[in-house]
Amino acid sequence: MERRKATGEMSTAELADVLERVRSGDADAWGELYRLYAPAIFRFCRRALPTREDAEDATTDVFMKVRQKLGTYDSSRPFTAWLYKVASNHCWDLLRRRRIRQDLETGDLETLPLEHPDPSQLEKLQFDHDSKQVRAGLAKLPDRARMALVLRYYSDMSYDEIADTLGVRRAFVGVLLLRARHQLREVLGESGGASFEGAAAGGKP
Amino acid sequence: MSHFDEMTGLLYLENQLKPENAQTVRAHASECGECRDLLEALRRESLWLRESLEVEDESVPARLLSAPEKGSAPWGWISALALSIGGAYTLWSGIIEPWRAQAAEAGFTQGNLLTMLFFSGAFWKGWDAMRSMVEFVTVATMCVLVIWLLRKHLGRSSMIAVATVGIFGMLAMPPMAGAAQVEHGQPNFELAAGTTVHTDLIVFADSTRIDGDVDGDVIAWSRDVTVNGHVKGDVIAFAQELRVNGTVGGNVRAFAQKVELNSTVARNVSAWVGDFDLNQSAHVNGTITLGTGDAVLDGTADGDLLAFGGHIAIQGLLESNALVHSGEMTIGPKAEVKGKLKYEGRKPPDVSPSAKFGTPMETVLKMEDSEGSKYSSPMYYWHQVLKWAAGFVFGLALLLLAPGFFFDAASACRKYAPALGFGVLLLFATPIAAVIVCVTIVGLGVGITAMLLWLIALYAAHVVVGLWLGETILGAGVGVGAALARLALGLLILRIVFMLPFVGGWVGLLVIIWGIGALALATRKTVQPHMAAAV
Repeated sequence: MERRKATGEMSTAELADVLERVRSGDADAWGELYRLYAPAIFRFCRRALPTREDAEDATTDVFMKVRQKLGTYDSSRPFTAWLYKVASNHCWDLLRRRRIRQDLETGDLETLPLEHPDPSQLEKLQFDHDSKQVRAGLAKLPDRARMALVLRYYSDMSYDEIADTLGVRRAFVGVLLLRARHQLREVLGESGGASFEGAAAGGKP
Repeated sequence: MSHFDEMTGLLYLENQLKPENAQTVRAHASECGECRDLLEALRRESLWLRESLEVEDESVPARLLSAPEKGSAPWGWISALALSIGGAYTLWSGIIEPWRAQAAEAGFTQGNLLTMLFFSGAFWKGWDAMRSMVEFVTVATMCVLVIWLLRKHLGRSSMIAVATVGIFGMLAMPPMAGAAQVEHGQPNFELAAGTTVHTDLIVFADSTRIDGDVDGDVIAWSRDVTVNGHVKGDVIAFAQELRVNGTVGGNVRAFAQKVELNSTVARNVSAWVGDFDLNQSAHVNGTITLGTGDAVLDGTADGDLLAFGGHIAIQGLLESNALVHSGEMTIGPKAEVKGKLKYEGRKPPDVSPSAKFGTPMETVLKMEDSEGSKYSSPMYYWHQVLKWAAGFVFGLALLLLAPGFFFDAASACRKYAPALGFGVLLLFATPIAAVIVCVTIVGLGVGITAMLLWLIALYAAHVVVGLWLGETILGAGVGVGAALARLALGLLILRIVFMLPFVGGWVGLLVIIWGIGALALATRKTVQPHMAAAV
């Protein structure tokens, strides 16, 4: 959870005070909270959703929801975790509402390759692609695969939280992540001009 | 245990296996190189994914700077637009129209704004007011912003249409350029006597010598330029030294260290130059406009003389009026000014008793203590309001286009020592470096660009410090509205302090140094993504 940081630094007591003031309708406190967390939530949305415009709209919507639902927030839990949960739920709902999820709900271990991928080939793939290319590759992935990778490797969500957000069984989260990795390897392998054999062989259900 | 599969490896790395299973995997990996390699490859892949996702390559959009509130009035926009309209009207009626009239009077008849900007802007009579061009630029920026804000409504094709029309509009402004012969000296260029260039001649060379004739214009970028032949068009030179011995049918425009004219110029002469010599044999049929260190006018001019300089010496014949703003002026014994001569300067002119004047010379000596009178003029205060508004609109543009950078720069003001240190360095080193770079032709573009950026930074400096000041007084705000309020307050306080006699100037200098230092720190932060804090 420690990776879920917002822009500024605020102690737990300060945050609790701000949240209390927001609940009591203090516009300044709301502004302060927004300024602190909006950039981080925008960045999360930018990674989870396909376009920048979607991310901008989603950030605004997430904060409108936060304001409405702040009464339901349990202050014994970390605020950022709750905030990311609201944001990830919103993004996933958005994608689901649009019915643009392309990946199938089903998927099990049988669909994954049992052989080891070639470590040297994997290393070459990493060496050949910078962060920009990886992000471009992520944007091409099916929504659920992209969401799984973002929730796990950007938001540091636990398997339980990912399962809850994406509405899948917990045992399926690992499968989802591994499959997403394979799909990303395949996408990047294609864009790099060479197919990633391991991924090509086993990445598709 | 046989080899474990990739799924097991990933779950192990992510601490998702039961302890006993994890122990089995660990034990196997310690003995099996192949599985160890797999684990290492997956671990590196996780790290690679995390790093790739963490890289911040996009700024937070401006519209997300303010917290979503229902019914909040876009007062910033309304006030900015109102100020822009007021500013635009004042600029047009008070500056641009008189400027056009002045330029036409001085013989700049090219008839398009771009040429005027290039060739007459530097010699414009109201150079002091050129600072207000920044205000004009902010107004133009506002137009761009409006298009930018409406981009969603306009749609992509409409945007392309608007941009295309804009570009074609700009291209249509100058008259259609004729054909030109372009020469690159190796390293020198010489147009031999007896040869004629029937088009414009554009030369890039170390040393340029034109002994032949040119039917069009001569445009030269060169260390030294000598024109001995007949040029039917203009001579435009960017050079260390320009010497014109042949007849020129058009104008002579020069940006040079030294200019020497020995022949007839059928139209006007304008020069931004260190030393200017109009020798006895020279005859200018039009006007002479000078921005110069030292000028010696031994020759004849039929049109008006407008000169800004350190020391102006008139020793020849001026058929029309002359207006001289300079530190010193000397009128030689053979000098004759048939029109009206007005001199504005700090020292009384040194006038030979045998010099002839059509009308008595008018002399205005600038007194050091003339500051006080300006405070009684209402226009002074209106200009201060406009300057404040220009700074505000500039800040608004920065907030919308590069909010992260703007806030970073304002925050960097708190690092007093580095900001002031960088500020002093940039204030003095940038123009020196730019001039040095300009010595080479290739570096000219770089040098000019650097100078332009430096000038923009000088202006932006007080806006950045203004935001910092506002935030220091009111505390950190949230969103565009709060930032604008703080910016407005900070700029207002700065503007009032700038108006104070004596103190204002020094505070202004301090603010510039501090502000450009903060801008430099913010720039450094921006270009080093790993150092950049999240916006």
